[in-house]
Amino acid sequence: MTVGIPKGLLFHKYHPFFETFFTELGEEIAVSADTAKDTLDLGAQYCVDDACLPVKVFHGHAASLRERCDLLLVPRFMRVRAREFICPKFCGLPEMVRHSIPGLPPVAGAPIYAHTDACFYGWARETGLCCTKRVSRIKRAFLIALEKQKKHRTGIDDRGFSLRVALVGHPYNIYDPYVNMNLVKKLNRLGIGAVTEENLADGLIDAQVRKLSKRPFWTFARNAYGFAVHMAECGLVDGIVYISSFACGIDSVTTELIRLGAPGVPYLLLKIDEHTGETGFDTRVEAFADLLERRRARGPHLPAHGKRLSGGKGAAGRA
Amino acid sequence: MGNAYLAVKALLDALEVEYVIPPFCGREALRLGSLVSPEEICLPFKINMGNYLQSIERGADTVVITGSCGPCRFGEYCELQARILRRLGHDVDFIVIERPSEIGLRGLLRRLKRVAGDSGKRGAQKLNALIWAVRIMKLIDALEARAHTLAGYEQNRGECRRLLHAFRRDAQEANGPNEMAGVIRAYGRKLDAVKTDRAKAPVKIAIVGEIYTIIEPFANLYIEDRLMDYGVSTKRRLSPGWWVDNLLRSALRTPSGAHRAARGYLGLEIGGHARECIGGAVLAKEEGFDGAIQIFPMGCMPEIVSKSILPSVARDMDFPVLSLVVDEMTGEAGFVTRLEAFVDLLERRRDRGVSGR
Repeated sequence: MTVGIPKGLLFHKYHPFFETFFTELGEEIAVSADTAKDTLDLGAQYCVDDACLPVKVFHGHAASLRERCDLLLVPRFMRVRAREFICPKFCGLPEMVRHSIPGLPPVAGAPIYAHTDACFYGWARETGLCCTKRVSRIKRAFLIALEKQKKHRTGIDDRGFSLRVALVGHPYNIYDPYVNMNLVKKLNRLGIGAVTEENLADGLIDAQVRKLSKRPFWTFARNAYGFAVHMAECGLVDGIVYISSFACGIDSVTTELIRLGAPGVPYLLLKIDEHTGETGFDTRVEAFADLLERRRARGPHLPAHGKRLSGGKGAAGRA
Repeated sequence: MGNAYLAVKALLDALEVEYVIPPFCGREALRLGSLVSPEEICLPFKINMGNYLQSIERGADTVVITGSCGPCRFGEYCELQARILRRLGHDVDFIVIERPSEIGLRGLLRRLKRVAGDSGKRGAQKLNALIWAVRIMKLIDALEARAHTLAGYEQNRGECRRLLHAFRRDAQEANGPNEMAGVIRAYGRKLDAVKTDRAKAPVKIAIVGEIYTIIEPFANLYIEDRLMDYGVSTKRRLSPGWWVDNLLRSALRTPSGAHRAARGYLGLEIGGHARECIGGAVLAKEEGFDGAIQIFPMGCMPEIVSKSILPSVARDMDFPVLSLVVDEMTGEAGFVTRLEAFVDLLERRRDRGVSGR
């Protein structure tokens, strides 16, 4: 049997686990190709039009695997930290895929509660039984896969650049270069190094989040907020770049919480969707780089509204 | 939020707590709210913000809001709204009513005490007032539901709608739960007196979707009023009273009928009321309705999932479903055109016997 694994959403974080698990069970695996224009086209064709870009991209990956597998893995991530959620669309992802794309093979969409290993095993058992009847074998495959997953590290921490920004956003927007139009490379080319949330200790994120009046219940929001505000408060970065997909429900709250939580720190919010033009995107990134450079050269004193940065007579106010 | 405020008004009247009723949700509330809200947040947030600002103008100093712990973004409203109001320089107190599993039973009681703190009433009287408020909420729901059904049968087009509007106006004048109940009874009798033609077979539409946008008439561009004017009978399962019942149901973990009906399509809780939406459509078909209209604010995460499932329900059960997305940009003309076309479609299906009734 061949198990299809779409290269979308949390694939970048969890692929060692899924690949190892099914390989250890003795199944063939088929991973979809890197996101490209035809993936996005397929996704936009099948997916409900109100969904966000990453969900559309996931639909594209799933549709591209249709003829190549006998079982399609659609990870229904319900929870990766205790008492927190991922996103309602993740909870309903298998249904969305199943009802939107015609001609799919059976879908493995058991809920994943990955906040403890024991709960995570519940998924492995349910899904493994589609492949083999021997529970001992499933258990073994699960443990090997888990071991591999725990060694898997993601995260960007660029060194050797004069400027440094906190790159914030959902992992599927940060690690998919097609979706974010090579944002990390673009930043590097402009002399800016990026650092992501995986490099910050959990405890420091918790300390930041505890200052909120209410415990955030989305893991994405907790990480993004805690990381961005900590880096800004401690002066560890020159600015914050948030890469967010259009109409993302979680980001509509998180981006605003960061704006309110880290006042006075340069903050670039980049929105992506299936229509994003690269030129406009580049212009915004370049303008942000200019801003950071000037702040570095002239100190972090923001000019009063309406005044120009360059000194000299006649440049002080708007004509 | 629709007529829920009338029940809360009765409650606060009985408790003798001072309150401010903002003007009906309208363009002004939305304009004020949109100015200060994040761009991509959903419509209810923006209307809420407008309501707060209008109430603060009229002297409100405390906001009482229910919380939730996800996964829908309503649970984050309180945090963000409180911060935005503070940044705007409004010194208002936010009291967030959360479920006890989150803040502890003692925490919940403490917060409730803060709400009713100024009341001179004793504990038993407070409880009595609460029970009355819930009862009034349900009476209003029942009154509305009857008017929405009757609208398909009335002889003088628009009578039921006019009665509902008059009811709203009179109820707002009522002081205390007893007077409120009296007003409701009076309008119940007026509805009884509406001349109907039982031989009529009106088009029947179920309204499903995100709870705020289907309950608050301004948010859905007064869809129920419009349908009443077209002589369509409508039914909406979700209402303020239903919401209260649902709180108890979820505490007892008993599945509702809509959950059971949705099981074949969506078996798990995904936040918001996605399962009620799917289940509502399935049940509506079983109850002999001609079609369903789903309404949700742009970007609503749970309802996007249900929107992707509803076409399957429509196909499997031969049951037309129209999805309408609302936000602060919704143009009235396009909205009305789609609504009229949908009603036409249902009428023709019925007349030609396509719907299999």
